[in-house]
Amino acid sequence: MLNGSVIKLSNAVLLLIAVLILNFALIHVAPGDPVEVLVGEMGGATPEQIADLRAHFGLDRPLYIQIATYLGRVVQGDLGYSLYYDQPVTQLIAGRVGPTLLLVGTALLSAILVCTVLGVFSAQKRRSVLSHLVTVLSLAGFSAPAFWVGIMLILLLSVAIPILPISGMSSSDGAASGVMYVLDVLHHLILPALTLALIYLAFYSRLSRASMLEVLESDYVRTARAKGLPRRLVIYKHALRNAVLPVVTFAGLQFGQVISGAVLVETVFAWPGLGTLAFESILRRDTPTLLGILFFSSVMVVAMNLLTDFLVRRIDPRIKAQ
Amino acid sequence: MSDAMHVSGPLAAAPKPVSPSLQAWRMFRQNHAALVGLAILAAIIVISLIGPYVYTVPPREMVWMPLTPPGQSEYILGTDYLGRDLLAGLINGGRVTLLVGFSAACLTVLIGVSVGALAGFFGGWVDNLLMRVTEFFQVLPHLLFAMVVVMLFSPTLLNISAAIGVVSWTSTARLTRAEFQRIREMEYVKAERAIGAGNARLIWRVILPNAAPPLIVVAALSIGTAILFEAGLSFLGLSDPNATSWGRMIGDNRPYILDSSWGVTFPGLCIFLTVLAISLVGDGLNDAFNPKLRQR
Amino acid sequence: MSGKLLSVRNLEIAFRSGGEEIPVVRDLSFDLDHGETLGIVGESGCGKSVTALSLIGLVPNPPGRISKGEILFEGEELVKAGERRLTQVRGNDISMVFQEPMTSLNPVYTIGEQIAETARAHFGLSQSKAWARAVEMLSLVGIPSPDKRAHDYPHQLSGGMRQRVMIAIALVCEPKILIADEPTTALDVTVQAQIFDLFRDLQKKIGAAIILITHDIGVVAQMTDRVLVMYAGRKIEEGPVADFVRDPRHPYTRGLVSCIPRLAMPPDDEPAPLFEIPGVVPAPRELNRPGCAFAPRCASAFGKCRSQDPALHAAGDGRAVACWLETEGNAA
Repeated sequence: MLNGSVIKLSNAVLLLIAVLILNFALIHVAPGDPVEVLVGEMGGATPEQIADLRAHFGLDRPLYIQIATYLGRVVQGDLGYSLYYDQPVTQLIAGRVGPTLLLVGTALLSAILVCTVLGVFSAQKRRSVLSHLVTVLSLAGFSAPAFWVGIMLILLLSVAIPILPISGMSSSDGAASGVMYVLDVLHHLILPALTLALIYLAFYSRLSRASMLEVLESDYVRTARAKGLPRRLVIYKHALRNAVLPVVTFAGLQFGQVISGAVLVETVFAWPGLGTLAFESILRRDTPTLLGILFFSSVMVVAMNLLTDFLVRRIDPRIKAQ
Repeated sequence: MSDAMHVSGPLAAAPKPVSPSLQAWRMFRQNHAALVGLAILAAIIVISLIGPYVYTVPPREMVWMPLTPPGQSEYILGTDYLGRDLLAGLINGGRVTLLVGFSAACLTVLIGVSVGALAGFFGGWVDNLLMRVTEFFQVLPHLLFAMVVVMLFSPTLLNISAAIGVVSWTSTARLTRAEFQRIREMEYVKAERAIGAGNARLIWRVILPNAAPPLIVVAALSIGTAILFEAGLSFLGLSDPNATSWGRMIGDNRPYILDSSWGVTFPGLCIFLTVLAISLVGDGLNDAFNPKLRQR
Repeated sequence: MSGKLLSVRNLEIAFRSGGEEIPVVRDLSFDLDHGETLGIVGESGCGKSVTALSLIGLVPNPPGRISKGEILFEGEELVKAGERRLTQVRGNDISMVFQEPMTSLNPVYTIGEQIAETARAHFGLSQSKAWARAVEMLSLVGIPSPDKRAHDYPHQLSGGMRQRVMIAIALVCEPKILIADEPTTALDVTVQAQIFDLFRDLQKKIGAAIILITHDIGVVAQMTDRVLVMYAGRKIEEGPVADFVRDPRHPYTRGLVSCIPRLAMPPDDEPAPLFEIPGVVPAPRELNRPGCAFAPRCASAFGKCRSQDPALHAAGDGRAVACWLETEGNAA
């Protein structure tokens, strides 16, 4: 168990180093001088800033030293400096993580909850309306662009029936405080979270239904019924715990895609998280910030992978043994 | 069920052998959803290819008052915020969208199949190394990485397709690897090896054709994924300035939704229909190739 | 009849396939006494496993259902009993051991828990009392250091050990009937013998009646009091095990009995070649044609066998055979 975790962890660190090397390589391979790339068309930087950047990347030294310097800085929490925002990238990202985590967390949790319920009920009655609903929902959700679904929901629930705010995380006056502020944020959270959850649902509901179907036909579920356990126990104790395994594993593997969805949905709703920051940094051609977000998102994906791995180990004793 | 599959007893005269692709087509033909998908897809492709020659309104010029709603002028789907004809935009945008989707999917399949084939065929350290690379690309947040690439290397159609292809191949590679690992152990492959077939022949001529069915399904579905991917990039402003795709139309019209909902609704519907049609065809192919899995 | 522990009357089980309902078990009747061991024998696909599942209301539905007949447990009709009542019967009055010990236990719970929860469900025992009972059961089925093993997960045990756990689960509530569906087919031969010893031992201790489902005539001869032979969904012969082995009546049964060389007693005392029944069991769908289902494979078949289905015919000493040879004289 301990051994497995150590391997997983070192694997994760290696992956992150690879992301950094890729970042570094991209800057160097991209057309133009690296400093030019980094300063880009953000509007001229002062000569000192350019000199700073040269020093930051050690551009006058051999390539391997440059890479080492770069890695060293990242380890110290230095992801570069955004000239546009006039702030270190780390600080910028730190300021935007909260809203993203709130949005992604809400959407992911509600999607998992709903798809578990859908999976449990639709798998028990194969030809039911609910079962068909899962198929249609996942097909439609998979085929519609996330950001477009968001815009359509705005047109429906903010324009046609104006009950939810169009964008942002809180009302512009900013006067609210305490409980009112929390309620205001939740009110703003509904639409983006709903959009994102719909996208995730498309991914998970079909898998969760298929997995539940398979488990319900397994020998051990038959044993559980033959023992005379009540239906409730058969489904929620014996079937669900096994059915949830592939869903959790998949969720971990697909977390990068979860973040991609968040980037688009945040942009639609001007939700002040990392996704909107990424969108803004494209507009400003703010390369250090975009690279920083790419790296930080990779960290989140790796962390999520470790978390799901831990969960799967907790759920399934067979994996511990290996 | 095709009757040709049942041969009763050794004495029954074997009916004419039916090729696997014909058998698959027979299965596919019975799947109404897949046929509808195929029809929609064919219509979209035909319209995108010959539409611009039939409907000759220039898509990128102001032709009428901006923000005219649908049905209130000769431009039946209305105009956008610059007074451009929405219908002309959709017809021409389809070309760009399909082109990027198709070329990105080609690259996806090319990389995915190559990596998967090598890993699955050779095993050992080759497999180990290639799977590490695959794992790496799986962890990388695809959209963000493509955003970085397209921003650094200027947003041309080629760069956009390349960026999408470079990040999307991991699941194809995993599937190809699994198929190769399975087929590699089959008797006929061993027989080919015994009579001296080289690795290249084994990979390309012996194993790959037998691994083809599931790969065709994945290839078909990856066109849909690529189209959605392109739409996302364009929406974020990373699109070729000289080619308007459906995704870009949504991005362009997004600030004006309060005045013109049609400007985002129609292009989005086009993407939705196209990807839906591809998914239906892909599912149909999947069922056709694996009749046993159909009950699910 | 009221004294019977279990009485199955004219049972028909049908499966829906391609728009039509096809019976896979037809007109099946049999009785079971307290403490008796009944063997149900037949080739795979003859409907013996579905029959077993039907006794505790577990015929997979859809596509299957009990379409006719009744199952009387201590005089109580079970076919029309609700799910709630069936839940009380399963595991408590009638319990079942399945063929596949490798997959029949839930991989994510300890074996102790899987035994204990059964006791909790039926007896309402507390956590600790149920656990103690589980450990006791593990020692009863011959698992060494049971208090430690109870914390093991199924994957940590061998196939034979897992089947012992399954038996412990089945017997934890001291049921009146234990159904064992091919309980040793998936196990090594030496382990098979151990499991059967265990069955006999436990039957003495608990006094349950056993329905043993198998395709192995040798096992039937050693284990059971009475035998019921099924072919293509029907009972074709029934009788006390001794008579059955000494003097099988139905041509199919004769074939089965002579499949075990040691038990076969050819009248001329010559060592017979190992007998094999030619052909395969017909698919349920093919059974709509008239005549005896076994006729196409039967060496003694004559005209009537192909046109009319033979009814079950009493042959003395609690025996019954469904074969025209019995009634139409010695045409063979």
